[in-house]
Amino acid sequence: MRTYHHLPAGVNQHLARSETQPLILQWNVAVNQGRSSIRLRICGKIEFSTASHLMNLGISAIEYALPSKSVSVRELAEAGLLVSRAEQLQSFGFDRCYISDESADELALRAAAALLDNCGVRPESVDLLLYAGAIAPSHHIAGGQFVSNFNYPATKLQYELSLTHASVAGISQAGCMGLTYAAKFASDFLRSNGEAKCVLCVSADVLPKGVQREILYNVISDGACALMVTRNSVQNRIVAHRSVTKGYYWDCISRKNEILAAYFPTAKNLVQDLLRGAGCAPEDLRMVLPHNVSYRSWEILLDLIGVKKEQLFAANISQKGHVIAADNWINLKDAMTANLLIPGDKLLAFNFGLGANWAATLIEH
Amino acid sequence: MVGQDLLPKICSEPNVERVFVLTRRNGVLSSHRKIEVVHGDVTRPDLGLQYHLKQSVAQATTTIIHGAAETSFSSDLSAASAVNVAGTENMMRFAAGCPRLKAFCHLSTVYVSGKRTGTIREEDLEHNFGFVNAYEQSKYEAEQLVASQAQRLPATVVRLSTILGRSLDGAVTKSGAIHYALRFFFHSLAPMVPGMKESPVDLIASDYAAESISIAAFDQFTPGSTWHICGSSDAFSLEQFLEETLQLFYQNRPAWRKRAIEKPAIVNLETFYLFVRSVEELGESVLKNSVAVLKSFAPQLAYPKLISDASTQHALQRSGLTRPEIRDYYPKVIRFLLENNWEATPQEQVRL
Repeated sequence: MRTYHHLPAGVNQHLARSETQPLILQWNVAVNQGRSSIRLRICGKIEFSTASHLMNLGISAIEYALPSKSVSVRELAEAGLLVSRAEQLQSFGFDRCYISDESADELALRAAAALLDNCGVRPESVDLLLYAGAIAPSHHIAGGQFVSNFNYPATKLQYELSLTHASVAGISQAGCMGLTYAAKFASDFLRSNGEAKCVLCVSADVLPKGVQREILYNVISDGACALMVTRNSVQNRIVAHRSVTKGYYWDCISRKNEILAAYFPTAKNLVQDLLRGAGCAPEDLRMVLPHNVSYRSWEILLDLIGVKKEQLFAANISQKGHVIAADNWINLKDAMTANLLIPGDKLLAFNFGLGANWAATLIEH
Repeated sequence: MVGQDLLPKICSEPNVERVFVLTRRNGVLSSHRKIEVVHGDVTRPDLGLQYHLKQSVAQATTTIIHGAAETSFSSDLSAASAVNVAGTENMMRFAAGCPRLKAFCHLSTVYVSGKRTGTIREEDLEHNFGFVNAYEQSKYEAEQLVASQAQRLPATVVRLSTILGRSLDGAVTKSGAIHYALRFFFHSLAPMVPGMKESPVDLIASDYAAESISIAAFDQFTPGSTWHICGSSDAFSLEQFLEETLQLFYQNRPAWRKRAIEKPAIVNLETFYLFVRSVEELGESVLKNSVAVLKSFAPQLAYPKLISDASTQHALQRSGLTRPEIRDYYPKVIRFLLENNWEATPQEQVRL
C-alpha cells in the first residue's frame, strides 16, 4: 500500500481499497480581510458520498433466527389465515411462511446470541443496542399487569447478552423499516461518536396467534435478525442511504389503495436518487436485496429502476415469506453464505414499511 | 364533448336558419330560437324518426354535422361499432335523402391512427398497425365508410384530438378519460402511465374545436377534405405534462403539497399491463377503477405520434382562427376542475 503522508489515515485506507490513483490535496491558507480561510483543491477522483469511506462503516456480521415451523400457503388458507386465495398468493410468488411458538424476544435473543458468538465482538465492547419491532407487542414482554408494558425486550436482551456498556433504545412505528433504520441510525451514531466502535441492531416480530398472515397481499413470517454495525467493517460498507416517510398514508386501512398506488413511483424515485447520488448505474449493481414482498411487485419495480430480474436475490420470497423488518438482511446473509458475492460488489437493499416509509441502502460488499 | 360550444357557434352563423339537434336524451330544452330538438337515435333505421318528421327534416337540411358517437374508451367493439359505424351508415343514408344537402361533416378522432407512430398527416387513413381501443377502431371504420361514399356525398372529415376544456375559462362541459385520469393523479391513485418521457400529449380546447368544426362545415367546407383539430407541435411531452400538472396542483391547493404524492411513473407497455393485471387480480375496487380508466386510453402514449395539422392551420388562419396555446389554458382547466371538485358543468338539464 502506498501511503500519502499528507492525507488522513482513513483516506489512505480508502485509496488502497479502491485502488484510486494518486490524489493531491493542496492546502492553501489565505488571509482575507483579517480572517483566515482554507482553500482546499482536490485533484483526482474521490467519492465523498458519505463519510463512511473514511471509516469503513459497515455491517460486519449478520445472523437470523426463524421458527422451526414452516407452513404452506395452502395450509394457511385452510386455517383461515389468508385474505386472498392461496392460488392468488402463489401467483405472486409465495409458497411458505414461518410461524413461531417462541416469543419475539426469544427469537431476538437467539439471533443476537448467535451473532455475538460468531462475529468476534466482545459483549462489553458493544456501544449501543438498537431493538426494532414493527408491531406494539414486539416492544414489551407481556405480563398480567399494566406496568408490564415497561418490561422491555431490549433491556432484557442487554442483560441476557451481557452488553454491559451498551446504551439501549428501541425503534418502533417504522413498520418493516425498523431494522433498516437501525442500521442507518447505527452508522450515524458511529460517525458522530468518535469513541464508539460497534452497534448491535436487532429486529424481532411475532404476529399474535390466530391473526391473518397476509398484509397487503404479502405472506408474513415471524422471525428475528441481528446485525453488527461497526466502524471498521471488512465487508458490507454502507455507501449511501435514502429514506422517505409519507405521513399521508399513515392509515394503512383506509388508504390501502393509495399506498398500493404510491409504492411504485415513490420507490422508483428514491432508488434512482440514491444511485444517482452515489454515482452508481443500475447495471453496476451486483445484486438487489429485496424485502420479500410479492415477486410480481418486484418484476414491476425492477423495470422502473432499470434493473434486470437476474440481479434480484429472489430465492427467499417463496420459502421464507416476508419476515417483516428482517428480509433485506436475511437475504444478504444467505447470499454471502451461498458465496454469491465477492468483495467490492455493489448491493442495493430496498425496503418499504407501513407508516409509510420507503428506504434504499447502497452497500459495498 | 363540443356540443355545448358548437351549438351557439352554429346558431350564430348568418346563413343558418334552423338547427335540428338529434338527441336520444329526454328533457332537453332548446336554448336558442333556431334550435329544434329532434328525438331520435342514429343506431335505428331512419334515425328512429317518424316518416313525416324525417321527411321534413331531410327537406330542410343543407348541412349535417355528424357527431353522434359512443366515445367511451372501454366499450367493446360491438357496442362501439353499433353507434360509430352503423350510426354513421344510417346518418349517411339519411343524408342521401336530403335534396338540398351541401355539406356532410363527419366528426372523427385523430386516433384513427391507432398504434401508428411518427407524423400523422391529414391525408393519412389506411394502416394496419392496430388500435389501442375499440373506439379508435370503430371511428376508423366509420371514416372508411365515409370515404367509400365520397363520390355520392359531399363529405368532410374533422378529426378531433382529446378535448380538455374551454380556453377562455377552463370550463369542462363533459368529463372524459383525461379528466378522470387527472383526478386519480390528484388522489394518489395513478401510479404509472405507459409511454415515453417525450411522448406528445395532444390536447385541444373545446371552444377551439367548436370554431374549427364550424369553419370546416360552413365557411371553408371542401368535399373530400380532412381536418386535424389538434395541438400538434403545441403539445406537452408526457414528462412535461405530469410535471406541469403537479405544479398546478401545488399552486391551486397548497395544502395538497404535504401529501407528497408522486407523479405517476412513466413505464413501458409490458410493465404497465403487468401492473394492470395485478390490480385486476387483487380486486381492489378503487384502484381497479383507476386502472380501468388508464388502460382504456393511456397506452396510446406508448405509440408516440406527432399529429400534423399543417393543412388545417393554413385553412383556419384564412378564417382568422388561432389555436389557443396549451400553456395558457391548461392552468385554467386544472383550476376549474379543482374548484368544481372534479365535476364537469352540471348537465342534468341540458340546454341545447
